[in-house]
Amino acid sequence: MELKFWGVRGSIPAPGPATVRYGGNTACVSLRPSSNGLIVLDCGTGARNLGITLMEGAFGKGAGEASILLSHAHWDHIQGFPFFVPLYQPGNKFHIFGGAKSSSMLEGILEGQMAPQYFPVQTLKNMGASIDIVAIAEGEPFDVERCQVRARTNPHGRAGAMAFRIEDAGRVVVYASDAGYGADGPPAASLELYRGADVLIHDSTYTPEDGRRYADRGYSSVEDAVGAAIAARVKRLVLFHYDQDYNDTEVDALCARGRRLLDERGGRDIDVVGAVEGATLTV
Amino acid sequence: MKVRFWGVRGSLPVPGGKTERYGGNTSCVEMRSASGTRVVVDAGTGIRKLGKELAGDGEAGHASVHLLISHTHWDHIQGLPYFAPMYQRGNKMSVYARKRDDLHLQAVFASQTHDPYFPVPFNEAQAAIEFNELPDSAKFNIEDVQVACTRLNHPYIATAYRLTADGASVVYVSDTAPFTDILFEDQFIARPPSAGAELPAKDKQKLKLMREGVIRLCEGADLVIYDTMFTTEDYQRIPHYGHSRPGDAVDVCAEAGASRLALFHHAPERTDAEVDAILADTRAAAAKTARGLDIVAAYEGLEVEVGRS
Repeated sequence: MELKFWGVRGSIPAPGPATVRYGGNTACVSLRPSSNGLIVLDCGTGARNLGITLMEGAFGKGAGEASILLSHAHWDHIQGFPFFVPLYQPGNKFHIFGGAKSSSMLEGILEGQMAPQYFPVQTLKNMGASIDIVAIAEGEPFDVERCQVRARTNPHGRAGAMAFRIEDAGRVVVYASDAGYGADGPPAASLELYRGADVLIHDSTYTPEDGRRYADRGYSSVEDAVGAAIAARVKRLVLFHYDQDYNDTEVDALCARGRRLLDERGGRDIDVVGAVEGATLTV
Repeated sequence: MKVRFWGVRGSLPVPGGKTERYGGNTSCVEMRSASGTRVVVDAGTGIRKLGKELAGDGEAGHASVHLLISHTHWDHIQGLPYFAPMYQRGNKMSVYARKRDDLHLQAVFASQTHDPYFPVPFNEAQAAIEFNELPDSAKFNIEDVQVACTRLNHPYIATAYRLTADGASVVYVSDTAPFTDILFEDQFIARPPSAGAELPAKDKQKLKLMREGVIRLCEGADLVIYDTMFTTEDYQRIPHYGHSRPGDAVDVCAEAGASRLALFHHAPERTDAEVDAILADTRAAAAKTARGLDIVAAYEGLEVEVGRS
């Protein structure tokens, strides 16, 4: 499996010289499994650059097919969707999976973003590509691009956000953005989902200090991410979804903090990296 | 009057090394009169940094912000949920935008922060917020600032604003297509008009009047901020997206006798070097057709003084 990071920022895009190294686009990760299909994890503004790149291949000819997994519908996870160019190319096929009570409710959530008062395209139906939308049943395995996927909803402030476990030929990637566990740490069902993953991409919005200060906002600090990685005995932790106000130097320090915390708390064997826009990671 | 640019980009924010100089935040411009009246036009992501400044300074808890919205496409409102003064008790915010038949202005903003899109619902904002819906050619005063409006040629319709204070005028014309090939109203336009297709006479007439309205609004202005998202090639390819070229802005400024033009609402794909080149080309072309017109390309952080301050 090959992962590529297109957007690693949380809440709102953060352009400017201070964020150029880690990147200012909001959440979007692509995953190429061994089937050579394509899975897109969330559609923050990073999805725009992914789309431009995809148009150079089959998607530019209307012969592309991909699956999009949406953790939840906060803006920073869907705001790149209207600007994902392959959706406008007739012939392309997209399968969208996300958490909602029904598939039509999930469709309604995506339609809400396209409405004429907000966006000139007015409806998903004007986009061109074929789009099917499926609500995910929590905990039950389903197939995506010949991978097996399971989802669990993490607490995230007043809302929830789905984490995904993606298994492909014995390798496991977990995407767990936007998780606010509270004082007791990750629920058992979440740890079970993360268990033994080769790569855990985990919400690491805050430093431990900011994490305590903004505990009610529903995000993890680097300390929470480290705790989850150790408890689930994953092999590699990828820090993700940095606060919009952190500059590159502050994210450097956040990542170094992650390494130190792992070493101090029994996770010396766990590798840790900070997600960087444009970087790839082979599993 | 002092003008500060907080976001100059169109469509969506574009972080990255290639947009560092002009800036990647979406539309937001602040005007402040000598007496301190603050009028902000549009609430793209640029408004977040303005909000941080206001929340951090002596005005916190008694700030007063008047927010004029050109139209409610995302790139003109998406920063508002991150505008810190909205969450501070004691602050006042007045929002102004065009009155519509189909939707209340307040509902458009409330939906933006409604579950499942945003964690904090609009009714939890602590500032006192009021909404004002404007007719197409509204004229009104905000303290010592006189405001005049006219409608623009953009999908789902946008409004241009002229602000006059301290003996000077600034006009904000974004977003708009030229007033020649397509009349934009509320409908979705799927493709460009076919080659050689004639516009119906009533559409032509409506566009002519609309352009006259824009010229009148820009008359003698000290600064005109204009949607120049498109190159000539863009306009040939996608005229139905509803944006202008620099040449369209120069023509309007020349006819209106405006003294300065700021190219604005740069396309997301435009690199800093490309904006530099567009500015140079526009100046060279305007030297023949609009002598004396001063042209700048708006960038994040640009400050312009007009009139007394």
